Amino acid sequence: SQNKALAAKKAALKGVHGKAVRKIRTSTHFHIPKTLVLNRAPKYARKSIAHAPRMDQYRVIRQPLNTETAMKKIEEHNTLTFLVDVKSNKNQIKDAVKRLYDVEAAQVNTLIRPDGYKKAFVRLTADVDALDVANKIGFI
Amino acid sequence: MVAVKAHELRNKNKAELVKILDEQKQALANIRVQKVAGGKTQEIGEARKNVARVLTVINQTQREQLRLFYQKKAFTPLDLRVKKTRAMRRALTPFEKSKKTVRELKKLAHFPLRKYAVKA
Repeated sequence: SQNKALAAKKAALKGVHGKAVRKIRTSTHFHIPKTLVLNRAPKYARKSIAHAPRMDQYRVIRQPLNTETAMKKIEEHNTLTFLVDVKSNKNQIKDAVKRLYDVEAAQVNTLIRPDGYKKAFVRLTADVDALDVANKIGFI
Repeated sequence: MVAVKAHELRNKNKAELVKILDEQKQALANIRVQKVAGGKTQEIGEARKNVARVLTVINQTQREQLRLFYQKKAFTPLDLRVKKTRAMRRALTPFEKSKKTVRELKKLAHFPLRKYAVKA
């Protein structure tokens, strides 16, 4: 019985956490351990309404050009010239022309004029006549 | 150029308003083209305001509906909350301001403001 008591005392003094396991480090560098990453689950939307697309086709294309050089381009190179929004890019211009005038653009070249407006040269596909499209739009 | 009337627009539903908005934008684009071709330019002002009117009606009704929707909820979107000023939003509420300590309550109870009159 005394042995039992001594054993119990020893166990009580030793405590429960006798077996501490040391991690095996296989590299000399310490990298931050990966922890749990939760997905966002917001309690409320920050903006009440999501905005409609701001760069729609009406904003991209401002007006067509009918200057002498623009008319030359229509007749000789099958291209239409537009003043477009400065922040628009060639893909947006292509898309806008398609939506507004129902024509495919083979190629779009752009430049920014010295007075701040962006000019776009929209070459139409060979099966469409630029002059017809220009008449249809109405700026000839 | 026919001026769109806001009170007529408010009877319409969302799909119709979006269609009308597209039509008005189209009309504005056409007037811009006419300007280049040397046509009438006086209608451009009216056209721009028409687009603005339709957008106003769309947004106003949307926000109104959302406010109704969020009335019972605990958390509302930030742009539907009261704006005021940053400091005012963080100030104590009227209830919080009215709270008194027990000590103060006792004082008020024992030493109220007395009313008296002076005999003439």
